[in-house]
Amino acid sequence: MTTPTIYVLGLGNVLMGDDGVGPAVVRAFEAEYIVPPDVEVVDLGTPGLDLSPWLADAKRVIIVDTVKSDLPPGTLRLFKKADLLQHAPQARVSPHDPGLKESLLTLEFAGRAPLDVALVGIVPGPTEMGIELSERVRAAIPAAVQAVVAALERFGVDVKGRPNPLGQQAWWMSKEASSRALIIDKSRI
Amino acid sequence: MSTHITVDPVTRIEGHLRIDVEIDGGVVTKAWSSGQMFRGIERILQGRDPREAWIFTQRFCGVCTTVHAIASVRAVENALKLEIPPNAQYIRNLIVAAHAMHDHIVHFYQLSALDWVDVVSALKADPIKTAALAASISDWPGNSRQEFQAVKDRLAGFVAKGQLGIFTNGYWGHPAMKLAPEVNLLAVTHYLQALDYQRKANQVVAILGAKTPNIQNLAVGGVANAINLDNDSTLNMSKLYQVKDLLDGMKAFIEQVYFVDVCAIAAMYADWLKYGSGVTNYLAVPDFPTDTKGATFDMPGGTIFNGDLAGVKPISSFEDPYFQKNVSESIAHSWYDGDWQRHPYEEDTVPKYTPYDADKKYSWIKSPRFDGHVMQVGPLAEVLVAFAQGHEPTKRWASRTLETAGKVAGATLTPAVLHSTLGRHAARMIRTAVICELATKHWGLLAENIGKGDTRIFNEPVFPKGEQQGFGFHEAPRGTLSHWIVIEDGKIKNYQAVVPSTWNAGPRDAKNQPGPYEASLVGNPVANPELPLEVLRTVHSFDPCIACAIHTLDVDGAEIATVKAL
Repeated sequence: MTTPTIYVLGLGNVLMGDDGVGPAVVRAFEAEYIVPPDVEVVDLGTPGLDLSPWLADAKRVIIVDTVKSDLPPGTLRLFKKADLLQHAPQARVSPHDPGLKESLLTLEFAGRAPLDVALVGIVPGPTEMGIELSERVRAAIPAAVQAVVAALERFGVDVKGRPNPLGQQAWWMSKEASSRALIIDKSRI
Repeated sequence: MSTHITVDPVTRIEGHLRIDVEIDGGVVTKAWSSGQMFRGIERILQGRDPREAWIFTQRFCGVCTTVHAIASVRAVENALKLEIPPNAQYIRNLIVAAHAMHDHIVHFYQLSALDWVDVVSALKADPIKTAALAASISDWPGNSRQEFQAVKDRLAGFVAKGQLGIFTNGYWGHPAMKLAPEVNLLAVTHYLQALDYQRKANQVVAILGAKTPNIQNLAVGGVANAINLDNDSTLNMSKLYQVKDLLDGMKAFIEQVYFVDVCAIAAMYADWLKYGSGVTNYLAVPDFPTDTKGATFDMPGGTIFNGDLAGVKPISSFEDPYFQKNVSESIAHSWYDGDWQRHPYEEDTVPKYTPYDADKKYSWIKSPRFDGHVMQVGPLAEVLVAFAQGHEPTKRWASRTLETAGKVAGATLTPAVLHSTLGRHAARMIRTAVICELATKHWGLLAENIGKGDTRIFNEPVFPKGEQQGFGFHEAPRGTLSHWIVIEDGKIKNYQAVVPSTWNAGPRDAKNQPGPYEASLVGNPVANPELPLEVLRTVHSFDPCIACAIHTLDVDGAEIATVKAL
């Protein structure tokens, strides 16, 4: 078994509107592309400091996440590791407060941070409860997927398109119950 | 003259937890806890297939993923009176055990140890003395002079560059910091080593849950881990032994490092065994079921009122009406429409925001009550409830903890000291040690049962027409979690999650009874209102986890949590 040294991580809460764009981009990327075994693609949700074990000793990491900005929703912003380490972390209150920046700083101190980090940031629209992305943010997904591909290629990864792309609909965006039929035992009705 | 402080970590878009305290003569006289974000995620579930609820509920919170998945499948199984095969029970128990150990280690080392440990002071430590001190209390191989020297050099390098990185916003040199430089260096070293043990726990969850952090192996009626000892792609002996190795590694860290560090900090900050008790009514639910229906457990549950351990009343099954009938939630001081107190099956979630007003409505968190009483939940509640019922591993670890900390402090410590800020940390460690033993036990039960040829993992759920109600509980890392479901014709009609941090962080109720956070802060000393480290110590001791929903990365980094004195 090959241990992955390169990670593509989608961050965000898929139940909170545009906050879920990170996982959606990761999902769309996986539907279209195949990566070699040393690359692992994961939808991590909102792990807070639990991000640290994923980043520790990894060689290269691509993060897809929402970023705060005054630019319009759906705008793509790309950052490098140095950009992420520039500012001091927040004071800690709940385990959710620390996130990417704090995990990176902890690992930097431990001498175990990834050599390189690429952040594919997407400016979100509404991040209120809901399973759908806003139109502008949904429209940004293909460009974000291309940014992930470009970052992987820059890291020397051979990314191949799938001959038959998988379905793109993520489970959390389906409004209906899944297609598996509900079991109702007639004898008990 | 009294000072009012607001500790409000201003986060992006919406805030999380806000704590307000009034301080008079260096002591907190009143406190308010406010959840600053509306969630109401339960509403997404209405109309969906109950078998899929867990996939959504584990996304409620990015840190407490697994616990919401477990509580959800238990709620649906309770509504259907569905038992699950023994293998499924053991596999679930192993997953929640690994998750809990991981969560508690992260909480102590990454999220709260630095409330007590002065990183900058570690620069003054002598690595040789540190190694001697460590050797006097533990056999841990990671306590070598070379290791301490390396960490000290690293720290010195960071400080020389004028950057403290992750430690930038700490309360270094605060008058409430009291550890000797050597103890600080020891703790910083363990802070770094803890990372590897978080990872081991993650690997256990990944092997058994197919993925982490969001597991994929659950099902209403059991688990989806096919078991075939001769097949590489299913759960087999080689994977089971990987799990065993990881558990053994965690056991060593918990017993030789985490246990020792908590005892040392409790002894050196013995004052904090007096502050922070607050609400001494405790609630814990039983967990680690050992049968197919949740009538026998390896970890007991129950209630204690007014700190009276002798009067403990057990909660004894997944169907216990004592739990089912007595839970309600009040919205008297919460930003929802109305001012009712209702049972979870009857609740709704209709937001109605008005400006923050401590006398009226001031939080998005509801106030859960048990038979009308405010209850503290969490590891302390669980440990006290188990201790009161004579639970052997809990009694053994609690006694060891009190003896060891007492020896360092030069005092006799009784279980009464556990009703405190540091008592909550001690209880969390005691619980971790107990769970680690239970994980090994349930690993043995699983291996033995599979060895007998039983590979069953799933009983198919059957949804009758009409309405069913069910509740599922789980004693999660932060305490009693319960999910409540109403099913109609095979679809979800209503869903409520009553989460641990709601029990603890909730605001006052209709009778103006303060919640556990609020009560525990009263009487806390605060040396410097502009740097209220002591307030954070007590709040952190509960392991707050409330805003499970939103995060947006702020690369431009202008926002730093503000602690403002008004």
